[in-house]
Amino acid sequence: MAQELIFEAKNLTKHFGPTVALNGVDFKVYRGQITGLIGENGSGKSTITSIAAGMQPATSGEMTFLGKAHSPSTMIEGSKLGIGMIVQEQGTVSGITVAENIFAGEESRFRSGPFISKRKMNQEARKAMEDIGFTGVDPAAYIDTLDMQSRKLVEIAKVMYNKPEMLVVDETTTALSQHGREIIYGIMRKMKEDNKAVVFISHDLQELIDTCDTLTVLRDGDLITTLDRDQMDEDTIKKYMVGREMKGDYYRADYGTPVSEEVVLEVDKVTSGSGLLMNFSMKVHRGEILGIGGLSHCGMHELGKLMFGEDKLLTGKITHVPSGEAITSTQTAMKHGFGYVSKNRDTESLVLTATIQDNIISASYDKIAKGLVMTPKAVKEFVDEQVESLSIKCAGVGQDVQYLSGGNKQKVVFGKWIGRNCDILILDCPTRGVDIGVKAAMYQLIDQMRKAGKTIIMISEELPELLGMSDRLLILKDGALAGEFFRSETLDENHIIEVMI
Amino acid sequence: MSEKKSTKINLGGIGKLAPLIGLVLVILIFTALTGGKLLSVTNLQNMANQVMVTALVAIGAVFVYGVGNFDMSLGGAVLFSAVLGAMAAVRSGSIFVTLVVCILVSVAIALIKGIFSAYIEVPFFIFTIVLGSVISSIVLVIMGSETTVYLKDAVREIPTFNFTQMTIINVVFLAVYFLVCLFLFNYTPIGSKAKMMGGNKVSAKQSGINDKKMHVLTFVISAIGVALAAFILIIRTRTIGSQTAGSVGTDVLIALVVGGMPISGGPKSKISAGLVGALTVVVLNSGLTMVGLSTAWIQAIRGVVFIVVVLVSSFSYRGKLLPR
Repeated sequence: MAQELIFEAKNLTKHFGPTVALNGVDFKVYRGQITGLIGENGSGKSTITSIAAGMQPATSGEMTFLGKAHSPSTMIEGSKLGIGMIVQEQGTVSGITVAENIFAGEESRFRSGPFISKRKMNQEARKAMEDIGFTGVDPAAYIDTLDMQSRKLVEIAKVMYNKPEMLVVDETTTALSQHGREIIYGIMRKMKEDNKAVVFISHDLQELIDTCDTLTVLRDGDLITTLDRDQMDEDTIKKYMVGREMKGDYYRADYGTPVSEEVVLEVDKVTSGSGLLMNFSMKVHRGEILGIGGLSHCGMHELGKLMFGEDKLLTGKITHVPSGEAITSTQTAMKHGFGYVSKNRDTESLVLTATIQDNIISASYDKIAKGLVMTPKAVKEFVDEQVESLSIKCAGVGQDVQYLSGGNKQKVVFGKWIGRNCDILILDCPTRGVDIGVKAAMYQLIDQMRKAGKTIIMISEELPELLGMSDRLLILKDGALAGEFFRSETLDENHIIEVMI
Repeated sequence: MSEKKSTKINLGGIGKLAPLIGLVLVILIFTALTGGKLLSVTNLQNMANQVMVTALVAIGAVFVYGVGNFDMSLGGAVLFSAVLGAMAAVRSGSIFVTLVVCILVSVAIALIKGIFSAYIEVPFFIFTIVLGSVISSIVLVIMGSETTVYLKDAVREIPTFNFTQMTIINVVFLAVYFLVCLFLFNYTPIGSKAKMMGGNKVSAKQSGINDKKMHVLTFVISAIGVALAAFILIIRTRTIGSQTAGSVGTDVLIALVVGGMPISGGPKSKISAGLVGALTVVVLNSGLTMVGLSTAWIQAIRGVVFIVVVLVSSFSYRGKLLPR
C-alpha cells in the first residue's frame, strides 16, 4: 500500500523553562491510518499534538502538513488548516445552548439581516450531531442540562463539523462510557476509510492495540520506537514505555482469601438528591476490597460521595456500623476513619496552586497539630513520610502541585489520606489518567492496605482493574444493583458487561 | 542542570521580594521628588499614624481575603466601631469600656458577614459593598444632627497621650497583632485551612475542612484588627466624624495587592502583605500629597497603581499555568 504522508514533524523540540518536554522528535502521520501515541504522563504525547494544532509554539524544529510548511499560531488557524483536536478536558461553554456551542465563533453563518437565525443554527447543529451518530439531544437545550459525556460528544460534533483532514483524539475516551467510546471509534474508522488521518492518544493499551495501525511510544520527551500492528502486544508496549521489563500481571495475585463477616458500613435504601441512585442498599465488610462498577451514569460516583457525607441524602441512611453513627457530613465520616479520593482529581481532590506539602497535610490537621500549634517540624515529618513511601517525584515538597504529572498528583492525593491512616477508603476512579508505572504502584498500595486490614471501596469504570483487585464486585445499572460477583479466576468480563448494559 | 535550578530559585526569590522592592522604590522616588521632605520627622510621625490604621486592618484582612472573601466593608466597619466606641468613651469615661465596645461592635459585624458568607449564596463582595454603605447610613442616623463626636472636653478621665506615649501604644498594638496573626496563619491549622479554601473550596471541603466555621473565624480575626484600628483612632484623634476612616477600605485593598497578596486569596496569601502593603500605600499617599497633587489626582494615580499591580501579578500567574 502506497502511504501518503499528511503530517511530518522534524526534530521537534519544546522546552518549558528548564524542563525538556520534547527532545528532537521526528514524527510522521500517514493518510488512511490511525496512528497511536503512548507514553507515561509527561512523556510528551500531548505536547506534540498541541503544537501541531496551534495551541502552543515549538521551541525549535519543523513541521509540514498537507505538503506545506506548518506553523499555526492559534488553534483557530490550526483548525482552519484542517487539524481537529478533541481533548481530555471539558471544552464546552456553559450558559449557552448546544447549537451555540457547536457554532461558537461562527454565528455569522446563520445571519439573516441583522439577526441570527436560531432555527437554521439548530437545524445545522442537529445535522452535525447526527453526522457523528449522536442523537437524542435537542440542539436548543442548554449545555448545562447535559451530562459530561453528552457535552463531550457535542464537542466532538463541533470538531467534526469542520471536516478535519487530520483528527487528534487526546485521551478523550477515559471520560466516556462504552457508548461514547463506540461513537469515537466509529468516527476514527470513518476518517480512515475516507483516507484521512487520525492521531490517537490513550492510556488504555487494549484500546490502542484494537484501533491503531501504528503505535509510537514516547518516554521523557524522546521518541522510543514505532510499532506496527503485528508488533503490538501489551508487554512489549509496557516495556518500551517504562524502559524496563514489566510483569504482565500487576493486580493482586491471590484468590480465595477469606473476608471478614463484620460489617463496617451499611447503606440502607438510599436515594441521592440527583436521583441517579434509587433506593439502594449494600453492606461493606471489614478488610475487603469492594469493587463498584457500571456505566458512568449508573449512580456509582454519587454513591461514593454519599458514603463520605459529601452530598445530602434524599432518603435512606448510611451508617458506620461499629459506632452505630449515621454519616451526615464529611466531618462525621472522617471521625470514623473514612477517606475519599474523588474521580475529579484536579477540581476536587487537590488545590492545584498549593504546594505538595499543603495538599498532603490538608486532611490531617487534627493529627499534626498539638493543641493549636502546628510546628514546621511536625509538618515536615508528616509530609516527608508520605513523599518517601509513595516515592512522589518532585523537586521538593514546596513545589506547586499543578506542575506535577498526573500520576504524581494522584500520589499526593493518596498521601493525603494514607497519612491520616484511614480505615475505610473510598476510591473513585483511583487510576484515572495515570500511567502504567504509577498504576502498578497504586494497585500494590491498595493491596498492602487490604493486607493491613483496611476496608477499600473501589469505584471504577475500568472492568479489568475491578476484576483484578476486588474481593467482591457490585455492578450498578440505572441507580440500582444489577449484579454481585465474587472474586474468582474464572470471572469473565463479557458476563459482567451483559449485566452492566 | 544545577545552573538551571539556581536561576529558577532566584526568580522565585525575586517574586517574593517584589513587594519589598516596590516599597523601597516608592520611598526612593518620593524622597527624591520631595527633596527629602518625605522623611522629615514631622512627616514620619504623620505617616506612622496612618500606617497603624491601614496595617491593623490589612493584616487581619489577609485571613478574609485568603479564604476568598472579597471584603469591601472594612472601612465601614472601622467607622462604625470608632463612632460607637467614641460614644461609649463619652458616656463612660473609661478607656477600657471604649476598647471593649470597639471589639464588640466590630465582632458583631464580623459575625453578620461570616454567617452571610457561610449560608447565603449571593456573591459575597456585593453583600459587603451594600453592607459598607448601610453601615455609613446607620452611623449618620445614630449621630443625628451631630457630625462629630468629641472626646476633648467631655472626657477628662481618658488621658491625652503625648507623641512618645502614642508611639509606644501604636508599636505594641501593631507588633502584638502582627505576631499573633503571623502565628495563626503560619503555625496553626487556621491559616493553612484558610489558604486551602481560597485555593479550591470543593477540595477543602472534601478534606474535611469545616468551611462555615472557617468563614466566621476568619472574619472574627479580622474584626480584632478593625477594633484595634478604631480604638487607636479614638484615643489619638479624640474626634470621630462620619468621614473618619473614609479611605481605609480602598487603602487596605491597594495595600494587600501591592503587598503581594493574590486578590482571589488562596495558597499564596501571606500576612506580610498586610504590613508591607500598608507601608507602601501610606508612603505613596503622603508622597503624592507632598508633591502637591490634588486629592482628585491622588485618587486617579492610586487607581492606576492598583490596576497595574493586579495586571502584572495576574500575568505571572497566567504564565505559570501554561499547558505542558
